[in-house]
Amino acid sequence: FDHSKAHFYRYDEQVSLCLERHSLSSSVASGKDKNKLLQQKFVRCSARAEVRHLRRVLCHRLNVEKHQVSLSQVQILFNNESLPDHMTMKQLWLSHWFGKAQPLVLHYTVKDKRAR
Amino acid sequence: AEEEQREVFEFEFSDRPLLPCYNIQVSLSQGPRNWLLLSDVLKRLKMSARAFRATFTHIEVATIAEAEFYKQASLSQLFSGPDELEGFLPDSKELLDLVEISGELAALLGSSLECLDASWDPVAMAR
Repeated sequence: FDHSKAHFYRYDEQVSLCLERHSLSSSVASGKDKNKLLQQKFVRCSARAEVRHLRRVLCHRLNVEKHQVSLSQVQILFNNESLPDHMTMKQLWLSHWFGKAQPLVLHYTVKDKRAR
Repeated sequence: AEEEQREVFEFEFSDRPLLPCYNIQVSLSQGPRNWLLLSDVLKRLKMSARAFRATFTHIEVATIAEAEFYKQASLSQLFSGPDELEGFLPDSKELLDLVEISGELAALLGSSLECLDASWDPVAMAR
């Protein structure tokens, strides 16, 4: 992969996020999942990034931190509501965070694999 | 060709609140880029401007008049919070020093980067 030729979104306007683990997440109760916490919870990305990108990168991030998580287990929430995959960070900001200070606070849940 | 270029999203992760980032066009020869205030960076690195410039000679420091900076930053819908630009003077002719966000600067500030390409594969990072 040739980075020099890639189009990066790095010149886009950036959004500043804070990803908090959802406290009512069902898996918090089960002991072995207590550690599925993001170590670095402050995130900056392009305003054009979508919820699905954030889910994907969050899932990868948790796995890097030695948690075994699959994409379908990870959800991004705002005010207890799951966000649509194709919503961009800019749309999210304008519809839910306009007039507020950075960072935009989002929650994530990591569902237990064995949960029904 | 343009179509062959793969699109890559970059995500910067930090355990501390990220420094404010401003999407600003500093010169007519290039479009808007993302900048941090050098003063914010120095505060976080606990470094003097002189030490920073001497240590990181290859990191370019750009300057912009505070009034122009304010004008551009205040156009952003993402800086809509009441206090976001509070410390800046809309009419000041003072110059502000800016440093462009880069992988190196992010690493210096203790952040780590994740990249995601169009096929949704996390890719190894190098800027």
